[in-house]
Amino acid sequence: MPDVRTLSDGIFEVTKGKKQLATKNLDPGKTVYGEKLIPVEGIEYRTWDPRRSKLGAMVLKKFNIPLKEDSKVLYLGAASGTTVSHVSDIVSEGAVYAVEFAPRSMRDFIGLASRRKNIIPILADAGKPASYAHIVEPVDLIFQDVAQPNQAEIAARNAARFLTKGGYLMLSIKARSIDTAANPKEVFTEEVKKLEQAFEPRFEILTARDLMPYHEDHLGVLAKLKE
Amino acid sequence: MKINTWFGILEIGSKGEVLASDPFPKNIRELALRSLSLRESRQNLPPEGFDLKAAALECKFVESPSEYYSLLHEVTLDAAKIQVSEALTPDQRIVQAVEALDDINETTNSLSERLFEWYGGYFPECGLNGEALALFIVKYGSRENVVPDDPLYLKARDSMGAKLEAADEALLKCFAESVCSLYERRKQIEAYIESSMENLAPNLAITAGPMLGARLISIAGSLEKLAAFPSSTIQVIGASKALFKHLRERAPSPKHGVIYSHPLINTSPWWMRGKIARALAAKLSLAARIDFYSGKRDSSLPEKLEEKIQKIRALNPRPPQKRPESGAKPKKKRRK
Repeated sequence: MPDVRTLSDGIFEVTKGKKQLATKNLDPGKTVYGEKLIPVEGIEYRTWDPRRSKLGAMVLKKFNIPLKEDSKVLYLGAASGTTVSHVSDIVSEGAVYAVEFAPRSMRDFIGLASRRKNIIPILADAGKPASYAHIVEPVDLIFQDVAQPNQAEIAARNAARFLTKGGYLMLSIKARSIDTAANPKEVFTEEVKKLEQAFEPRFEILTARDLMPYHEDHLGVLAKLKE
Repeated sequence: MKINTWFGILEIGSKGEVLASDPFPKNIRELALRSLSLRESRQNLPPEGFDLKAAALECKFVESPSEYYSLLHEVTLDAAKIQVSEALTPDQRIVQAVEALDDINETTNSLSERLFEWYGGYFPECGLNGEALALFIVKYGSRENVVPDDPLYLKARDSMGAKLEAADEALLKCFAESVCSLYERRKQIEAYIESSMENLAPNLAITAGPMLGARLISIAGSLEKLAAFPSSTIQVIGASKALFKHLRERAPSPKHGVIYSHPLINTSPWWMRGKIARALAAKLSLAARIDFYSGKRDSSLPEKLEEKIQKIRALNPRPPQKRPESGAKPKKKRRK
């Protein structure tokens, strides 16, 4: 019998041979990206590959994940939905507003979104939150994985409009998409400073760690609104 | 103040309380289309932090939060489907065609090589390759079948190649047929790209040539993106490896990317190529912009380009003196 340990609300470590990160499958019997399904005592767990998901890597890097069963999440940069599917598992009674800009990625994502009732797909530019202001309610967490040079600004703009007072921001910063030639460490310092000071609202950084060995030259950041 | 939401138009007070409401009918497709029409509106946005779900419950648009989410889910899904189906614009079809062409080229090359090796054992003297070889094999199969009035008749008769057994012959003929049909498909796709480029981007087609123009659109991702690129980017599109090597290390900057295949560049002497590439890229970016924003044909573009090229040729008749190796100044390393 596989051993299950809870790491955080809705996030588990399932040991079957080796330790694996997993979430409870909200869409039983179906996989999203070729991950494994492990049934334990009538509950189906879906393994979560940290190499394909920055949020997954952040869990293993001991970030505090501010997600509960009924959380509302704004997910910027949904791509084809690998990570969104796990967020959807975690917030089984909540909602994930998943914003993606590329129609090609959205095409793959729609199949996933149609099978999971708590996903609200939005094809829009995350840099223009006004274009989905008529859809998105205030959220408890903004997760951002957009790999844009102005991602700090994008985060601030979305937080201003959609983040509740005690809400959190999580994002991954890809050094190469900010500046291809500069030293990643300098890029990270620069970007964190931008989050703290450059835009309104300002953020207080709670955790900032690189995502090695799961993702190279990526920094994971957990922040909340500065009071 | 009046605000637009996906489920209706609301009149709200200063604290966000709903004063009056005009909810839309609960028709998924209609709500999706309305939601899409609100994307560009800069007016009547809900204020920052406005709770749409609470307002929807307050104005009795829905009975419960679960009804709210289930309706919102259906509406946004439908809206996203509409957007995805609209995303396949004519330039995206050209992008697909260019990529298909690349795949076909790669495949035909490797299959042709295989055919050459394979048939070489039976008729090494034929001197054919590529499409000509495939057609020859489809026509005759074994070299014994070559008719006397074919120019290869004598070579076929005296060949040192092995005898082709019936089973091998049948296999080789079918294989050659497949290769021939790939060559056919290649011509078909090229014709498709040429005619589509004439319609979609006539200026780019005439300045760059339809194939190069299509390739530029394909690498940029769309005509819109290509039109937004500065000409210096267009000049080095397709040379990203060299460009980043230049930016990171002390490598020289690339002078041209895929535009090298333009006859103006690859037939010019080496010392003019960089200058011509710059002039050509400038005109290509103009052409892409005219095509994207107005769509009209501008016949002065090729003339102006020609004029500029003549100037470059007149100013640089002789190759520059190469700097002696020892005198090369040490370059600064860019990376901080």
